Amino acid sequence: MGIAKMSKVTLLAHQTDKERILDLLQQSGVLEISDLTEQLAAEEPLADFLEQDQEQEAMQAVEKSMAEVRFNLDFLNRYHRVNKGLLDDLLAEKKALTVSEVEENVPTWAEISSKVYQTFKAIDEQLLALRNEETRLQNLRKQLQPWQKLTLPLEDLKDSKTVRLQLAAVPAAQLAGLEAELAASGAAYYLELIDSQRGESFILLAAYTADEEAVQDVIKQFDFNRHLLPALTGTAAENLAKLEQELLDVQTAQEEALARIAEQVQFREVLLYYYDYLSVQRDQKQSVELLARTESTFLLEGWVPTAEVEGLRQKVSALNDSIQISVREPYEDEDFPVQFENKPFFAPYEFVTKLYGAPNPRSVDPTAPFTPFFVIFFGLCLTDAGYGVILMLLGLLGLRKVKGESMRNLLKILVACGFSTVVCGWLIGGWFGYPLFGAPLLFDALSDPMRLLVYSLALGILHIFWGMAVKCISLVREGKIFDALADVGLWYGLIIGLLLLALPSTAAIGKNMALVSTVGLILTQGRSQPTLLKKIFSGVLSLYDITGYFSDLLSYSRLLALGLATGVVSLTVNTMADLLSGHPIGYVAMAVLLVGGHTFNLAINALGSFIHSARLQYIEFYNRFYEGGGRIFRPFRYNTSHIEILGEGAQEK
Amino acid sequence: MLGMGTGILLAIFGAALAVLLAGIGSAISVGRVGQAAAGVVSEDPDKFGSVLILQALPGTQGIYGLLVGFLILQRTGLIGGAPAALSLEQGLAFFFAGLPIAIGGMVSAFAQGKTAISGVHLVAKRPEESGKAIIFAVMVETYAVLALLMSILMLFGIQV
Repeated sequence: MGIAKMSKVTLLAHQTDKERILDLLQQSGVLEISDLTEQLAAEEPLADFLEQDQEQEAMQAVEKSMAEVRFNLDFLNRYHRVNKGLLDDLLAEKKALTVSEVEENVPTWAEISSKVYQTFKAIDEQLLALRNEETRLQNLRKQLQPWQKLTLPLEDLKDSKTVRLQLAAVPAAQLAGLEAELAASGAAYYLELIDSQRGESFILLAAYTADEEAVQDVIKQFDFNRHLLPALTGTAAENLAKLEQELLDVQTAQEEALARIAEQVQFREVLLYYYDYLSVQRDQKQSVELLARTESTFLLEGWVPTAEVEGLRQKVSALNDSIQISVREPYEDEDFPVQFENKPFFAPYEFVTKLYGAPNPRSVDPTAPFTPFFVIFFGLCLTDAGYGVILMLLGLLGLRKVKGESMRNLLKILVACGFSTVVCGWLIGGWFGYPLFGAPLLFDALSDPMRLLVYSLALGILHIFWGMAVKCISLVREGKIFDALADVGLWYGLIIGLLLLALPSTAAIGKNMALVSTVGLILTQGRSQPTLLKKIFSGVLSLYDITGYFSDLLSYSRLLALGLATGVVSLTVNTMADLLSGHPIGYVAMAVLLVGGHTFNLAINALGSFIHSARLQYIEFYNRFYEGGGRIFRPFRYNTSHIEILGEGAQEK
Repeated sequence: MLGMGTGILLAIFGAALAVLLAGIGSAISVGRVGQAAAGVVSEDPDKFGSVLILQALPGTQGIYGLLVGFLILQRTGLIGGAPAALSLEQGLAFFFAGLPIAIGGMVSAFAQGKTAISGVHLVAKRPEESGKAIIFAVMVETYAVLALLMSILMLFGIQV
């Protein structure tokens, strides 16, 4: 129980064994590689022998392949999204492959990936070209569209020596004015209205070149917008028909390209597997950067849980007996990574512990101590047996389906918290806001909140006392009996004394207890100070900590408030639903309201309950004994999301 | 509604304030956190889950406000019963009972919203630390919970 002991393992081996050793380590997943390069670079004579960046090229190759696979997957996802529900990711099972199966498959995977890459690159370019073509055609269509009634072939729209031809758009309202002005100008001209669309008139204007200036003067007075068409043959209508055909062709080509992408969908799985394999490779190459390397040897150092050392030593020596292995305990002042070790019931709650961070490797693992309180607090914050049943069912159903370890842990927490909610709801709450099975067994929290407040604070006192006890136990274990008595025992005395003081029958004992403890605290709390005056002064000052205990205690009133919040919201939902009853449509609306309202209430309050239960541990409970500053153990291992690589001994290769 | 006394009107005013002010605080804050969250999700859709929780946090004050408003209506018989004949003092008492969550809820929602936005930025840079971002925002929630507690205790204490 608690925090696992760690040993530092050092391997010295030949470069030729490097890959096999790293394969083995990655597969066992029990060793966290420490960075040796910085440590050794400082040691003068050694540093000259160290090699740098041997893996640069291999690394780049892996990263290039990864970029290709990522491009493939992105491209596939862009055109063929996988429609997955919210739960699919959780329910997905990893494909189990042994190491040798992976090795066998990799050449095929690589080949498929690079084929898909080439296909996709080509399709990508083709699609881009097609899109450009489509835009060009559409623009042209927009240009020609107003002139489809023009019977003159476009190649004939040319100025001759004596006549100037122009196509133009003028606002329909100005057309009559333009004609009148042109007529008045005395120029020889011909104007034909070709088409009118959306308030604009499209006209053909022919004029003698000799009258050019007069015509220009008239035109300037109007919104005369000359249209210049590209050099095309045939009439506008003929060209438009041709355009439509070309656009259809572009569309067909696009569809063909998409169909070719669809053909590659079958490789999605393989691409995902290959990506996993490559990321394993990349991790391995990256880890090499942490080793100290000379031309022909390398030194690897890392933390291994002490329980795993023997197994690892055997596996490594089986590889090659020339490999030097040395194992040592951590030094007195050396920090080692934190790996939790807890009984199966408590292990899931390591999730809650890790949310805050890792404790100091030489201190106490808070997981098991806070678990019972966490579960009870959650139940009190929710306080509805019906909701508890739903949470439990969700958890149990999930445990049947979900395979992922971390998700399973969350589901186990959910089941326990659901159970606690059922109990709390049965004792002091209801079932979906209704008293389904008669009145609550203990009392109704909604009609007697003061009683629940007292219970909440009492639980708070227990929790805080338990936290102090944890500190006391760890101090005793370290042999610091006096510290345990002074720092925990006296505070117990003071707080219990103050509590007894509140009750008339025990007031006298309480008074004496509190007084003795106070004097004790004044005398002991300043013991680390150098002079007598300072000892007394900081002893007196330490009494100020009582405010900390007091405000921590009041914080537990949130148990009451959150419990009531859930109860009152479900009451609100039920009351509103009641108002709708008595009419066929009303019953439908009522059902929708009940289901929707309770789902919402459950979701938001379950989240709140989880967070507030966790907070009571992090702030109020941790305050009593917790020492932070640790680092979670992150062993070198397979980090995959779609395949599960099963070990069968790397020595077979 | 004829002949409704000043007492009951004051009680309704208290209920309205509790729902309104706490709701305004939550609505504005949830909206702002949502904007920040959308920015993060535009870069990395996988962070949706953790930023959504951060967005939901300042929403609870609105619910607390609703809860107190509902309790006032229930205690004064406006829902599920005949409106009680409240004296001016009783009405004022209900009005005051609504104030802690109305004002405490609104202000704490604003403060929590700001913390949650910073939390969203934290998640954007270090997704593995999203638990800590949530804890920071929950520290603010305490004061909304305390305001709610006081409102509820006052409500249950008023004799009708």
